[in-house]
Amino acid sequence: MTDIIKVDRLCKKFRLKKNAAGLKGLFHPEYKTVTAVDRLSFNIKEGERVAFIGPNGAGKSTTIKMLSSILHPTSGTAEVMGLIPWENRRRLAYHIGTVFGQRSQLWYNLPVQDSFGLIGKIYGLDDIEFRRRLSKLVRLFEIRDLLGHPTRSLSLGQRMRCEIVASLIHRPQILFLDEPTIGLDVTAKEIIRNLVKKQALEENTTLLLTSHDTDDMEKVCDRVIIINKGRLIFDDSIHALKESYLNKKYIEVTDDSGAKIKTVVDTKTTPVKKALDELVQKYHITDITVENPPMEEIIKEIYRRD
Amino acid sequence: MADDFIKTLKLFFYIQKSHFKTAFLSVGDALSNVVIMLINNLSFIFMWWVIFHNKGSINGWDFSDMLLLNAVMNNAFAIFALFARGIQALPEYIDNGSLDNYLVSPQRPLFMIATSESTFANWGDLLTGLICWILSGYTDLLSFALMIYASLCATAVLISYRLLVSSLAFFAGDTQKLGDNIFMAFITFSSQPASIFTGWYKVMFLSIIPAGFISLIPVMLIKTAALPVFLFLSGAAVLSIVISAAFFRFGLKRYASGNRFGVR
Repeated sequence: MTDIIKVDRLCKKFRLKKNAAGLKGLFHPEYKTVTAVDRLSFNIKEGERVAFIGPNGAGKSTTIKMLSSILHPTSGTAEVMGLIPWENRRRLAYHIGTVFGQRSQLWYNLPVQDSFGLIGKIYGLDDIEFRRRLSKLVRLFEIRDLLGHPTRSLSLGQRMRCEIVASLIHRPQILFLDEPTIGLDVTAKEIIRNLVKKQALEENTTLLLTSHDTDDMEKVCDRVIIINKGRLIFDDSIHALKESYLNKKYIEVTDDSGAKIKTVVDTKTTPVKKALDELVQKYHITDITVENPPMEEIIKEIYRRD
Repeated sequence: MADDFIKTLKLFFYIQKSHFKTAFLSVGDALSNVVIMLINNLSFIFMWWVIFHNKGSINGWDFSDMLLLNAVMNNAFAIFALFARGIQALPEYIDNGSLDNYLVSPQRPLFMIATSESTFANWGDLLTGLICWILSGYTDLLSFALMIYASLCATAVLISYRLLVSSLAFFAGDTQKLGDNIFMAFITFSSQPASIFTGWYKVMFLSIIPAGFISLIPVMLIKTAALPVFLFLSGAAVLSIVISAAFFRFGLKRYASGNRFGVR
């Protein structure tokens, strides 16, 4: 398999005004430089599903925006499908799809179907090709019932399914997903993860998914890149990450008096089921939560071992 | 090249169809807004009729000049508001990061931004333009052709000025209100009898706030059909497009995408 994305010492710095408010800021502005992405290098092969993980402000979105031609880097270079993104914006657009969890590419008042039609025209698809493609995606993402509804009337989970369909209409080889599960409830997150993975496997789409939710990468991806403060700190398979750093589960139970009991289980030595059985016997449990270690813990652990 | 132009033109009409569809989700609301806009504009014209009826003329300008001015100005503003209104929202797109949607599109970003918004009520302005032209008395074929040409040039200047002002947001952050105020001043200047501006005011009227290219020069062209006026107006239209497009492209390179939540 060939490298479909090549990133070499990519760097992005932003100049921010320190004293934006008041007259002083107007006449004597002071600036500070913030490094969002710091000499980042990695390659991604065709068909790989890569999770791009890191805490808030790590530089995930900035990297995706440079790779999808939105931002110009300060230094370094990148190639996506053999094209330098920020120099070949329009040509690259036909090969990539983008989903930004924080904003919509659908028209607020129009029925979803009309938004899809408009997007088809923007990508220059002919009517037969468009109808065939949409019909497949509608079936895959189970959105037939939503087509006649305006975007404004959709729930966040429904909207996200439609957003992903919108980004796939022109059959992109690469799909950039920037926090696609942000703000969704547990059920909606699970649906999105399953559908994204199913589509990628079916059409051999290369995925680059950013998230600060470790469950997203576990359920969707086969490789993980972790960045912190703009720098790459881990690049390996999900399996390797699980073996090394995701071998703990954080369990929180609430008993009938309302007290919360927290415990950490090492899954290498104690299966989660066994730990839960013990807790159930010991307490009158009214609620249970089982979670992966938070991203900050994983990063601390990576630094500690280095 | 020609193929690309035809495809863009087809997309333009498809986008306009979508705007129509959105407006007609509430037909009564859409049509009443057009009628109210028309009444509002005509009451303004009536006010000028009263002034000119009592004064006769203002620095050589009479009511027919004022009607021609309103024909061109309303046409230009209507074309802007119906087909390129998105340019007015550019500072907001820059501030909240929704510009990203247009940058990952295979179409030209400026085309996508311009056509992203439309205000249906401004069909009322186009109707006002038509009524003013008929009432002006300059209804022969040549005057009609010149009125159309002058309106298109005025539209180019108006859209370019708005783009220039909106693009300030690439450099100075959230300038939506500032941009709106500057543009409102431009429209206010355009709607006055051009003959009241003399000396340095006239220089400003044709440079920093180029309202003269919406009012004075188009009216002169329709009335005189003079070649130098034709060339002056055409040159101003081309120059304003070149300058504003270059300023927009320069700003786009400095764009630092935001991350605020939102929908189109």
